[in-house]
Parts: sequence; C-alpha cells; structure tokens
Amino acid sequence: MSRPPVRVVARRLGAGLVVLWVAATAAYLALLAAPGDTVDNIIGDGADTPQIRADIVTEWGLDRPALVQYVDYLRRLAGGDLGRSYLLQRPVAEVIGEQLAPTLALAVAAAGLGVLLALLIAVATAGDRRPFLRRASSGAELLLVSTPPFLIGLVLLSVLSFRFGFFPVSGDQGIAALVLPAVTLALPIAGLLAQVLRDGLDRALDEPFVLTARSRGVRERAVLVRHALRHALLPAVTLAGWLFGILLGGAVIVEQVFGRPGLGQVTLTAVSTRDMPVVLAVVTLSAAVYVVVNTAADLAYLLVDPRLRRS
Amino acid sequence: MPAYRLRTLAAAALAPLLAVVAGCSTGTTPAAEAAGQPRSGGTLTWAVETEPITLNPHQYAQAKARLLVWNTFESLLTYDQQGKLAPWLATGWQVTPDALSYTLTLRDRVTFTDGTPFDSAAVKANIDKLREPGYAPGVAAVQLRNLKAVEAVDPRTVRLVLSAPDVLILDFLASPQGAQISPTSLRQAKNLKAGGIDVVGTGPFVLDRYVPGQELHYRRNAGYDWAPPTATHTGPAYLDGITYRFLKESAVRVGALTSSQVQLIEGVPATDQPLVTGNRTLRLTRELNSGSAYSYYFNTSHAPFDDLRVRQAFREAVDVDTVLTSVYRDTATRAWSVISPSSPLYDKRLEGGYSGDAAKANTLLDQAGWASRDADGYRVKGGKRLTVRLVQSAPFVRDRRDVLAQAVQAAVKQSAGIDLKVSLVDQGTATEALQRNEYEVFDNSRADTDAGAALNLLLHSKGGINRTQVNDPRIDQLLESGQATAEPTKRAGIYADLQQQVVAEQALVLPLYAPADQIAASVGVGGVRFEPTAGVPASAYDLWIGK
Repeated sequence: MSRPPVRVVARRLGAGLVVLWVAATAAYLALLAAPGDTVDNIIGDGADTPQIRADIVTEWGLDRPALVQYVDYLRRLAGGDLGRSYLLQRPVAEVIGEQLAPTLALAVAAAGLGVLLALLIAVATAGDRRPFLRRASSGAELLLVSTPPFLIGLVLLSVLSFRFGFFPVSGDQGIAALVLPAVTLALPIAGLLAQVLRDGLDRALDEPFVLTARSRGVRERAVLVRHALRHALLPAVTLAGWLFGILLGGAVIVEQVFGRPGLGQVTLTAVSTRDMPVVLAVVTLSAAVYVVVNTAADLAYLLVDPRLRRS
Repeated sequence: MPAYRLRTLAAAALAPLLAVVAGCSTGTTPAAEAAGQPRSGGTLTWAVETEPITLNPHQYAQAKARLLVWNTFESLLTYDQQGKLAPWLATGWQVTPDALSYTLTLRDRVTFTDGTPFDSAAVKANIDKLREPGYAPGVAAVQLRNLKAVEAVDPRTVRLVLSAPDVLILDFLASPQGAQISPTSLRQAKNLKAGGIDVVGTGPFVLDRYVPGQELHYRRNAGYDWAPPTATHTGPAYLDGITYRFLKESAVRVGALTSSQVQLIEGVPATDQPLVTGNRTLRLTRELNSGSAYSYYFNTSHAPFDDLRVRQAFREAVDVDTVLTSVYRDTATRAWSVISPSSPLYDKRLEGGYSGDAAKANTLLDQAGWASRDADGYRVKGGKRLTVRLVQSAPFVRDRRDVLAQAVQAAVKQSAGIDLKVSLVDQGTATEALQRNEYEVFDNSRADTDAGAALNLLLHSKGGINRTQVNDPRIDQLLESGQATAEPTKRAGIYADLQQQVVAEQALVLPLYAPADQIAASVGVGGVRFEPTAGVPASAYDLWIGK
C-alpha cells in the first residue's frame, strides 16, 4: 500500500523545519551558555571604556532580554534576514553568500572523487580473488582514515605544488587550484567508504542470488557490479550524513592549509570570536543542508532497494 | 594497530620529507643584490598570515594589517627613522604655548583616488565621522578623548582644539585610525565599517579586487605624487600592481615562496627560518616592533602576587634567556622592560636588573612565608599550594606563546616550586576569567607606535586593560604627565621613571621578548622595508622587481 507522495513530501518538509528550528535554538542556547560576554567579544583586544561598551550595547540591541533577542532572531530568520556580523560589520547573508560557492565546489568535488575512488577500490578488492591487493588496500585505507587531513594536505602541497609545481598552492585559479584541496578531503572519505562498500560486497557475494547468477554463467566482474554492488550500496548510503559532516569539518582545515576562501574559515573565526549572527547562520544553513542530504539519502534507498518501495 | 599510533608514525615518517621537499631551492641564481637599481613595472604576489577583519583604516585593530593600510590610505603625519614625527599629508603643525591648540597646514594638490580633493573639509569630515557615536567607539573614547573641536580655518588649514594637553593626539594623526578616507566614501560606501573597494584614500595604490578568504589586489595610483619624506623615492609606485594572498599556515607560506609561487612572505616562525636562510635565492629580514614588549603582568589584587617578594621570586625563577632559546632558537630578542627596546622611550638601565637567580627566588619565597613544600615539590603556605593561573585566549596567541608558557611553567616549577597553571581557551572564557579576577598572570604585547599609548591602557589605574590592577597615584601621575609633555628629552625622562617604578621597584611585570616581524623575499625583489618606529612591514610603495 503506497502513501500519496504529497503527504510524504509534506511530512518530510515539516520534519525538516523542526530540525532547523531545533538546530538554530540549540546553537543559540549554546552560545548564550558559553562563558564570556558578547560585548567583550566584540571589543576583543581593543580599547575598553564604559562609553565604548554603551555604544556597542545600543548598536546591537544587546540590552534586551535574551528571550526577546531570541524571538527577534527567529522572526528575522523566518523572513530570510540573517542579521549583521558583530566582527565583520557586514550583513551575514553577504558574508556567507560570497563564501558559499568555493566551499560548495570543494565539497562536491571531494565527495564525487571520494565516492568514485571508493567504488573503484571496493570493486577491485572485493571477494577472495587477490588477497595481497586486498590486504594492501585495507592498510592504505586505514592510513588514510587515521591521518589528519591537515597532514595529507601539507604532504600533497609539498610534493605536487612546492616540489614539482603541478598545482598552484591556492586561489581562484580554476580547476587546477581545486585539485589538491579536493583530493585532500576526498582521501579519508574514500578510505572509509571503500571499507564499508567492500564489506557489503563481500556479504552480498555470499548471498544465494550471486550463486544463481554465477551458475547462469555471468562473468565475475558483472556479478560484482550489476548484482552485488546494489546491495553493498545500502550501508554506504546510510553514511551520507556522516559524509556531509566530514566535508564541513574537513573544509575548515583544508581551507586553512590551502588558503582557499570558504565557509570553513568564516565559521572558525566566528566560533572563536563568538560572532553570534554568523555562527547561528552557519548552523542553520548546515542543518538545512543536512535535511536535504538525508532526504536525498532516503529517496536513494528507495531507488536502490525496490523492496522498500512496497512497505 | 591503534589509529593514534599510525598517526604518530605517519607524522614521524612525513616530517623529514616535508622538510627536505620544502628546503629544496628552486634555482641556482647566485645570491648577492640581484634586485639592482629600482625600476618601474611588473606585479608581485605577497603571502600574508592574517586576513584583515576590516579594510577601513579608522577601524584598524590588527598590527598585521598595517602593511595593507598604507597602500591605499595616508595620514597627516608619520614617523621617521629616529622615531620623530614627520610631515605627510600635513606639511607641518604649530602648537600654542598652552598646548591646547594644534594648527596643521595641509599639502596642496592632493586628491583621493575617486577624484575628491583633499582639503581641510576632508580632514574635518574624517574626524567628525570618527566622533560619530557607534562608528569607531575605541578611537573616540581613547585617542580623541581630549579633542574638543576641529575647525577648517581655510582650505589648507585645520585647527584641533583640545580640552587638556595631549601629545598623543600627534600619534593619532600618524596612526592608521587617523588615516584620511575620501569624504565621498564616508557618505556613500556600501559597508563603510568593513571597508572595501568603494572606501578609498589618497595612497599610492588603489584596491581593485577583494576575494574574502583568498586575496587582495591593488593597482598603482598613476597620479600619486605626495610620498612622505621617509619613503625612498617620489612619484607613483614602481609596481603596476600587487596581490596579497592569505596563507595562514607558515609551512605553506614558506613552500609557496621556495617554489616561486609568491615572491614575498611575512610571518616566518623560528622553525621555518632555516629553510629561508639556507636558500640562496631568498633573503630574510626582521625588525623589532615598537610599543610594549611581550610581558607577563602580575595581578596584584590578591594573593600571592599582592606580595612584592613573590613577584620578584617569580621573575628570578625564570631564566628568560634559556627559555627563549629553547622555544625560539636564537631568533627572539629578550626584553628587559615593559617597553620594547626599539622604542625611543626604552630605558636601557633596566638591562640585567633581574635574572634567573633560583637561589634568590627560593630565599624570597621563604621570606614570604611559602617555606614548605608538598609531596609534588610545590611550595605551600597554610595548606595552600603556590598556584598562579595564566589564561591565554586562543585567537590572540601568536609566536607560539602557548609553547613559551609551557617552558616558563617548567622553569618556575623546577627552580622555585611555583605551580603555574596555563590554560589555552576561547576568547569568551578568557575574558570571563579576567573579569571574575580569576587569574594571577596576564600576557600581552601591543604594537602601538608610541609606547605611551600602550602603557596608558596597561598601567593606568583606569586603563582599559590594567590587568595588574595596580592603583598607584605615582604611576598614574607619570602616565598623565608623559601624555601632556611634548619636549622629547623631558618626555623620555618621565617614561624612564615610569619603567623604573613598574619594572625595577614594584616588579609588576616579567618582560619576556620584543615581538618582531619578519619578511622573507626573493632576492630579485628590491625595496623590502619595515615601517620606521612601528617596525612592521611597510607598504608596497618602495618595492620593485629587479632584472
């Protein structure tokens, strides 16, 4: 019995809005509970007199009760107004807007590359065919997963940029400047995804349908790609949310090492200086992307596994 | 194998590789003064450590942003090599005998890069804007505290009327905060406080591209013809343009330089300096910053640092030279006073006044009643351990000051049984600890050109960052007369007395090192300079590309 798709979508959207609200509120409360005073953070290392403090309080409306500020913040958020950054003294939407594209390019390139690499590795090393290759690949994957992206980035830079000059260190220089950051971020993703995919492939290869396929004379490669892979993808799809987290967290480091523009840098600075409007906007945006990614993952489930479409 | 061991192994295996790869020189050009005679043309790329929070000079707060400020903006005065005030957009100034009125004569035929003429109305517009509530509260409340009125006497004459004598007003006129912004920008810029390509000045370059998080690009102001007497040439800048790229990792900056992707970098930590000095195509230059030295300030408002002997003991317990060598190799300059040794106000007599004398430290602590020790070797009094807390705010830690703190911590424990607790926290946590008076040690350095400005904040009983919490009428009086006295010898005498009070007699601070800036550049780049007095990298005006 299938539910009408409109209701499914509506429920999804409603749940998404609730997630957004909870995330925005949690971030607000966390920042409120964090030690230190907003005025102090705006002043930073600068001069500090009662007059300066009064000016800042007036400018940002900080003398209103926390609840009033919170409600005001939610109201403005609902209207699409993200407020003004305390530190940068510019509209948050503008700050985030101009940093979104480079981060998006990095994330998409890294995710694509990571998934592609994982698929290749998993298919090449699944089953009991090449034990040596399989062991070597497992070791390499473990190394990639456990090496900090910071270090991977520095090594890639040292060799491929500083030593041989294949790629520029940073900047708005087209695809060439995107390669190393994307590879840096993709390698740990590939490492973990490959392991999950291979496990899935191994399990699928033990299923009766594989035996059936083989007995029909289907070639081993085709058995892997056409039959087993579909089963192996399920657990990997579940990792989509995790993948998104890695991309966002990794972007902070990768952007720092490569001197790339992007949300990572903005977020890091905003958190360490408690630039509330920016932090809240980034959290809300992340929650929104998370909702979209997970909805997409759920839909992908339906595509991958026809059995789910019936229940 | 557990993940952490792999990580350690990987790091250990890769570190030498990194060093070797980064150390490879990219060419075999002989060293020497490859830049030759100044010549016009070409563009350079300079990798900087810090992205400015704002490009509006009135809002300036980061020492690392100074080299950018002077590309596009100029002030009325500047400092020469001897630390004396020199003309810039103002050709001179007269002060009345009561020191309450400064009359400045402005340079003729200067225009902002948007075509707006520079005249007394522009100066007045800038100062009025600075005094507007909510625009630059720090400048209005501190630097312009004693300014009563500003008058445009005629197009080329401006008068500043003060409510009390204040020589630091001249330092303001030479500071980035006193830089002149086009009145058209002041009225029309989209995000005035953040600055940007629509906030323009009279400088030798025009900002024409800003990609946040990535780079700034400046092109030459072809009509520029009013360089200050401290510059090495006149007329337009040599370079057609210059790009400043933000590269926060020092290893990446050095790698970009050794692979010729950039021609200049600033911020070269001690650990990376051999990579530059070992490369014959590169040259490293460094200069001490002015202002206050990097020092530990002792909180005198409660035990144990309310006791002079304990403060003295802490200083004797640290062998500063040894600590600096272990953290910075031989690249740090030891400080003996709260004022940087490069400042004209520095009192040389303080050198050698106290030093890592562990025996003396122990005697002083015995006398102060911290005579017994607990099982861990720390001194105790009345069942309480001799613990002092240093709270470092992570966003402000530079020059590996967190590592330096660990070295001091080990030193005071070993030589005198003092328990220095160091915590590296976010800015909010640090500020809260300071406000709740839950700290005994405060660390700070300031890069103000006139050290008097820094000391007003740090040591005056009403100072904004008076973390020693000293409240001594003698110190206040010295600071106030230092601010009111213009005659250089007399002024130096006042600040010498002040340093004697603060460092020698009251032991309010442990001066550690004089912050420095470094520039590493390809030898083909000529005109690499530091700003006189400030000691930070100068603007790109004097830079050229040699053959």
